Amino acid sequence: MPQSELNLSDSPTFTTARLVELWCAEPVFFASRELSDTYYTEGAIGNYALAYALGWARAPYRLTGKDTGRPRYREDLTPLAGQHYILPAWPVENSPSYRFERFNALSDAYWYAMTNNRVATAREDLPLKRTGKKPNTYRPSNFPQTGRLRIIDRGNRFQTLVFGEGELPEYIRVGKFTSKVRVDVGEALPVRQLPADTYRCNTYLNSADLPPDLEPFAFDLIAIPPASLLKNLQFHGEAWQIGNFLIPANLEFLGGNSRE
Amino acid sequence: MSIEKLQSFLAPNYENFPKGRTIGVVVLRTTQSETIFRTEGTGEPMCRESVQAGVQNTESILRLVMTKRKQVAPERRRGREFLRNHELLYTAPKSDSPCSLNTNAPCEMCVDCFLYGFAAGGEGAQKSRIWTEDAFSVLPSTELIGDRTINAVFETGTMRDEKGNASTALKTSEYIKPGVHFLDIATLKDVTADELRYALGNLLLTTRYGAVSSRVGRMENQILGVFGGISELPSSLELVQGVYDRLIAENVALEHPLNTNALIEATQSVINTWTNKRGISMQLSSEELDALIEDIDRHWSLDEQETFLKRLDESYQPYRQIKQQSTKKGRKNK
Ligand SMILES: [Zn+2]
Repeated sequence: MPQSELNLSDSPTFTTARLVELWCAEPVFFASRELSDTYYTEGAIGNYALAYALGWARAPYRLTGKDTGRPRYREDLTPLAGQHYILPAWPVENSPSYRFERFNALSDAYWYAMTNNRVATAREDLPLKRTGKKPNTYRPSNFPQTGRLRIIDRGNRFQTLVFGEGELPEYIRVGKFTSKVRVDVGEALPVRQLPADTYRCNTYLNSADLPPDLEPFAFDLIAIPPASLLKNLQFHGEAWQIGNFLIPANLEFLGGNSRE
Repeated sequence: MSIEKLQSFLAPNYENFPKGRTIGVVVLRTTQSETIFRTEGTGEPMCRESVQAGVQNTESILRLVMTKRKQVAPERRRGREFLRNHELLYTAPKSDSPCSLNTNAPCEMCVDCFLYGFAAGGEGAQKSRIWTEDAFSVLPSTELIGDRTINAVFETGTMRDEKGNASTALKTSEYIKPGVHFLDIATLKDVTADELRYALGNLLLTTRYGAVSSRVGRMENQILGVFGGISELPSSLELVQGVYDRLIAENVALEHPLNTNALIEATQSVINTWTNKRGISMQLSSEELDALIEDIDRHWSLDEQETFLKRLDESYQPYRQIKQQSTKKGRKNK
């Protein structure tokens, strides 16, 4: 990559930020972590999910071949450097409320059988299976067919800071079940640049988005894919002050780094 | 023709990248028989949730919930019945079996796979372009639930336990009464005119929801409003809350059975204010909405159904060929 292009993102970026409140019109589910057959949603909404939901980047409807298992965050999000940035959203109350739900996948066939973590629909495979053979439709599935989900409950509220210009949609969809979330946008607050010093951050941060020269001392880790979130980060470095919020300066998606 | 009115919010043909074209549909779902929507797992037997009654009336009430997953599965199944009938479901590449829901073997090529999506299949994944939403009853659930005492059934599914002893226990079973109204919002993203006809046809033609049984779960769906824009309509919860406020303001008796016409009027007056909202550009007038539904009915009529479905199926052909070629190439290079 030519040097000149890299320098563009080093120039001071955002002068204002908006405090945005997210209201969950529906229960929200992300597969943050898995314990046995239960899938837990953490009490946060990741900023990559939010960037896609706000329409800043567009993931294709159909994924084929290698793209199926490979995220496109770097291609999709690093071009936003200097134009748009959003922090991971944190709960307005100390801890969000959750609900548990059971899920199971059913077939549209009149006959089906629950097999090795899979729904089989070919009745003719049944005698074959009884003889000890393993017909294709009875082989284990590589994705779960039943289990339990811990979901962020309806009505929870989250907050985040949005950097950059442009109108935001009134409603977005997030999570595995494309849950509807209302976006209430506050007025723009000035971003004050603070000199390098020791600070304590009072928002959530994405660990992959921190500038390279930042020195972190202590933090709480929320281990979620694709990149872990940090809260209560104490750090040495330049900072941005937005209203009552204090965060490391020069945050960009993936640190603004578009290289592999 | 009203479908032309929606043209700027419809895709000319299937495209792989989102372009923000959004059709929002306001649906009234009314139970026509006893219906059962059970919560999955623990908790109360019937799906209900404590939510704020209105926007202005802030007290909490328990409302029945028809979850989004309970809506989309029967509607997809309905469409797939027709696809199967016209031999438009393909063989799944992974298992050599015909395309089937939730069996880890989607065909990745049929109308249903393209429109409603599939996860981890043979080679790829497709995101759904039909987004549903939890729907809520207008009235509090206490008005809407009936009880019936039945003989308890053992875990074996019979009236006898493993030792052959007959059941003596009685238990009460709850059901949702006929004539219960649910308000709902459906969102269609980047769909073509024929995909719109297909998805709304599924919605209008589906008459059974909830727990499977021959005598329960009949439901009628009515489309009360169709919007075009670049962003989504408010949530069904906000809709039902707005309607609740309006019914109170109009002194409509909030008891079951609720007057359907009063409910439709209240809903119309709430949704008519929505075009002022961010990103919602237009709403079909009631004449245009009637014409759209007539158009859908005509395409699904016995005479035109086959032509319509085959045309829709063929519209994905270029995309299927690209996929086949690219996989062939991939194999050659190896
Ligand atoms: Zn298919």
